Amino acid sequence: MINEITSLLKSKFPDSLLNVVSEDKRITLLVKKEELHQILSQLKDTGFNHLSDVTAVDYIDEQEFELIYHLWSHQEKIRAIVKVRIPRESPTVKSVVDLWTGAQMHEREDHELFGINFEGNPNLSPLFLEDWEEIPPFRKDFDTRKYVKEKYYLEEEGYPVAKG
Amino acid sequence: MDIEEKEIAFSTVPFGPQHPASGHFHALLKVEGERVHELEPHPGYLHRGFEKLMEYRVHPQNCVLVDRADVLDPFSCELGYANAIEKTAGLEIPERGRYIRTIMAELGRILSHMTWIGVLSMVLGFDSANKIAWGDREKILRLNEIATGGRLYPCYLCVGGVRRDISQEFVDETFKALDYLEGQLSFYDYFVFKNETFVMRTEKVGKMSAKEAIDLGATGPNLRACGIDYDIRKDEPYEAYPKVSFNVITRDEGDAYARSLCRRYEIAESISIVRQLLNNLPDGAFRAELSPVWAAPKGESYFCLESARGEKCFHVVSDGSPCPYRVKIRAPSFLHTLSEFPYLAKGSTIADIPAIYWSLDSCPADMDR
Repeated sequence: MINEITSLLKSKFPDSLLNVVSEDKRITLLVKKEELHQILSQLKDTGFNHLSDVTAVDYIDEQEFELIYHLWSHQEKIRAIVKVRIPRESPTVKSVVDLWTGAQMHEREDHELFGINFEGNPNLSPLFLEDWEEIPPFRKDFDTRKYVKEKYYLEEEGYPVAKG
Repeated sequence: MDIEEKEIAFSTVPFGPQHPASGHFHALLKVEGERVHELEPHPGYLHRGFEKLMEYRVHPQNCVLVDRADVLDPFSCELGYANAIEKTAGLEIPERGRYIRTIMAELGRILSHMTWIGVLSMVLGFDSANKIAWGDREKILRLNEIATGGRLYPCYLCVGGVRRDISQEFVDETFKALDYLEGQLSFYDYFVFKNETFVMRTEKVGKMSAKEAIDLGATGPNLRACGIDYDIRKDEPYEAYPKVSFNVITRDEGDAYARSLCRRYEIAESISIVRQLLNNLPDGAFRAELSPVWAAPKGESYFCLESARGEKCFHVVSDGSPCPYRVKIRAPSFLHTLSEFPYLAKGSTIADIPAIYWSLDSCPADMDR
């Protein structure tokens, strides 16, 4: 089944598949941003009806975000992992809310914690953080320890004392 | 003005975060009389940013920290994190370690499901069942204490195996506790699951079809109650699950009652799994010895496991240092509460909201992380 999916994708999107790794019950794809939505849509039609997760990794040295879509096929019992690299300066991709309703919340979370924009997502308002004015906190250039020290502690005789 | 000509007046009713049925979760209900038109979830009361905090810590610290990401089923978090790291490094875990881990994971599932029986009964106004279920839950907490020293948070797992071996006392006490709980299950059948009030409050409440459930991202017992047999213990077996036989419980109705029955029968399956594992417990080492600042090689892995609430996945990226570069926890409650709950709440009555919420068995700590 994995081989069939690989050859189908290769024939349909010859320019967009950058890397394909096939394992026993898992397929990992690195794709180009331009045809991401079409590839995910094709995978959904192929049977990957469960969107398990949408997550991001901040590769700050390469100035890129890696966005990862985890899919599962309930019929074939196989997993597909679709990765896409987007520039850190203008992190924008097309939303997949039209394919999976559950994507709404995953995208909202990634928008809040990484600052990635999902075009077409109707609601990207903050989920967890209240009155947040710093850069998105899960980016690598945000230092949690420094922030907590400056915001919540007073240095007195070398010991951190909580601001009261 | 005639009353019919007036526009429908919606009022807003808050659900949580101080509501005993909501936990640390807040939602705004837009209602017309008793009918809920819209539910707007406001999570974040338990957001501690574990995924970021873990980037500053070494693996043994993270195994302890990650417990708190799912308060009601903490062991599943330890298990997922350690497995993701081990998978990156290609570590071999001793057989006995695998068995002990699986036993603890199944005890964790029973623990979580017992808590859930209690809370669901409580929010339905049936406090006696709450007290009894939470009393029986003590049996599992006691087992946790014997094996690990911790009651709620085991902090028991380490990369490479488990922190210490289980004793003969633990084995004997576990058999006793399982016998007791198995007896209690038939009592729960009569006392809770066939109770007229319980059935009335849950049957045909919060119903979703299999297609809707998949689209919304449901997993675990919530999805299995819609007739989809998705159980990672069977589909992508890990730890010692390939060595045991058990059934995946499914129902077709997709309502709150079906979800309840799925969990009830899962407790029975878990009891059987733990018995099989204890009877065939292999001898030998229980962990691979590693230094505390042991570093996983550069790479990444994605590991999924079946927690009490559903699909829990760990995506761990390592850059070769003793701390992970990035950890992502795919938490089942995140979608149960933020995706399924608002959908099911639409069109229901205010009185059904706690029943729907707890029939989905979400844990606010697991949702916010």
